[in-house]
Amino acid sequence: MREAQREFAWKVLTYAVLLVATLVTIVPLYWILVAMTLPESAFLSTATEPRLLPGGHFAENFAALQGRVDVAILGVERVLGFELGFLGAIGNSILIATVYTSLSILLCSMAGFAFAKYEFEFKEPIFYSILATLVLPIQLLVIPLFLLMSRLGMTNTYWAIILPWAANPLGIFLMRQNMKSIPDALLESARMDGATEFQVFYRVALPTMKSSLAALSIILFLFQWNLFLFPLVILGQDKYTIPVAISDLIGAQRVYYDQIMVAAGLSIVPIFLLFLFLQKYFVSGILAGSVKE
Amino acid sequence: MATIQIDSLRKEFENDEAGSIVAVEDVDLTVEDGEFLVLVGPSGCGKTTTLRCVAGLEDVTSGAIRFGDRDVTDLQAREREVAMVFQNYALYPHMNVRKNLGFGLKLSSGLSSAGIRERVDDVAEMLGIGDLLGKKPKELSGGQQQRVALGRAIIREPAVFLMDEPLSNLDAKLRAEMRTELQELQHELGVTTMYVTHDQTEAMAMGHRIAVMNDGTLQQVGTPEAVYRSPTNEFVANFIGSPSINLLTADVDGGTLTGPAGFEYALEDATPVAGHDRVRVGIRPEDIRPVNADGNEAEASVVEPMGNENFLYMGMGDLELTARIANDLRPAPGETVRFEVDEAALYLFDVATGEALKTMTDETDVAVGEYTTTGGE
Repeated sequence: MREAQREFAWKVLTYAVLLVATLVTIVPLYWILVAMTLPESAFLSTATEPRLLPGGHFAENFAALQGRVDVAILGVERVLGFELGFLGAIGNSILIATVYTSLSILLCSMAGFAFAKYEFEFKEPIFYSILATLVLPIQLLVIPLFLLMSRLGMTNTYWAIILPWAANPLGIFLMRQNMKSIPDALLESARMDGATEFQVFYRVALPTMKSSLAALSIILFLFQWNLFLFPLVILGQDKYTIPVAISDLIGAQRVYYDQIMVAAGLSIVPIFLLFLFLQKYFVSGILAGSVKE
Repeated sequence: MATIQIDSLRKEFENDEAGSIVAVEDVDLTVEDGEFLVLVGPSGCGKTTTLRCVAGLEDVTSGAIRFGDRDVTDLQAREREVAMVFQNYALYPHMNVRKNLGFGLKLSSGLSSAGIRERVDDVAEMLGIGDLLGKKPKELSGGQQQRVALGRAIIREPAVFLMDEPLSNLDAKLRAEMRTELQELQHELGVTTMYVTHDQTEAMAMGHRIAVMNDGTLQQVGTPEAVYRSPTNEFVANFIGSPSINLLTADVDGGTLTGPAGFEYALEDATPVAGHDRVRVGIRPEDIRPVNADGNEAEASVVEPMGNENFLYMGMGDLELTARIANDLRPAPGETVRFEVDEAALYLFDVATGEALKTMTDETDVAVGEYTTTGGE
């Protein structure tokens, strides 16, 4: 086959694969968007034709959701004088994920810097022990963590789900890999310039890691955003996060699909905005260290 | 300003497989106040490690380092009042040139931001980078980055300058320009400077004195001329000089040296070889003098015209010889060349230890280790 033809064939194949992958990703999301604007009967019943375009039933579905779920957040509802409904869960999720991400970014980058740039006793065994905790499933940790938190008097507090994963092993691993790419001479020249070790870290090392930090922020934010089992166990109704609040819509007698669709649709919005905002850093951050610039 | 005094410096690196590796062993060296000393040697000889020990970037295994009468051996880099220029410049990529220059002052000088601004402007003007202050390092050319790196060292008015191959990333023309500029700058500021390079030409051209290192030990310290003319051993003779000195092993029979492929040389003064059965003979390329009759015979292989002179490569059996000859002399490949060497220009070394038995003994008599501050300029 000629070179040009082969190239064309490759291109077609590449786009075909990408198209399939895109459809697989997009269709369920699109279906959520359509379903949240339709009455339940319109998308669950076999009596009607399947609908591919959004309808005008969003306000009713949203009102029903607000009526069924009621989550408080930091007493804001008392100040405002009305109940927040499902929006309280969104608020809780944003609050917890933001605090968690900030704290975890700080701890992970400090630990990553130490593992990448310092020599100390038992460095490798410590690092691999941290990595090994990645294989422990949350289901296994729920009971010990619950006992720990109750001893600490932290049940039904935000800290109960922020602290256990604050030093995130995946985050430490990622930051270590990226920090390794900082030339030693850069840190040494900062030392020669009179910087203390902490100044070397936050004045020189951290600013060169912007894209990695952005990428890690999204990963950590998403991780906390999606946590379900432990928040379900440790948080009371007044502090529910989005996944827990949604699970409340699945009752013993009836599953409120229309409301679940609205809740799921709304829960995408903050994450979507965060990704849009950090997108350009995200891609270069993931590639950092693997590609020589 | 300060004298740098290094006493019995030893540096070992821990290594999992090989135990510990000795990078620097028993180095004693004094750099006079205001002097420009070049540390030169092949890669892995310990020169950079020595410099890093002086900088405070490596702990010493044993020995002491003093700046003037201040013992800095156990001080951290930031407490030593030293500035260092790195091979790859190590500019802070996220800061513009102004911030790069001012970073050290901001951290350690206690100057107001207006004071820092003024100093940055002064130094930038001095180095001709005043118009680059708003740019980021990646927007600069190699030469400009080099200047910023220099400026960052100068601005803090350190007691000691340390430079680790600062010119090696520049192209040849720029390197030659910066070489002169660096010397002028050092002369102007009068700051004691230690400069590391693997390039012996750079060492010869720049240093008041040069210190030659090999295998972690100091081989010789002296003015460029002293090191060139009176090397203490075969290694120094071989390392300094371009093209390199021609070396061969010869048998000693009274006052006659007999080498491979019929090489023969009759010494007038046989005292240096007394008691030796064999010696290593060294002949600088410029000391090979083509003659019409007598002398040794070699076969010309390649002539490299340099314009002002020619490099002639010749073979004597398996032995390769290099000669620097007049530019009008162009032997054809395969042609037989006869040459002589003045005894005054002959180098002789001990076969076993490499110690010099005889070095150049013509009219300019510079002894090993003799040092005058004007000697290298």
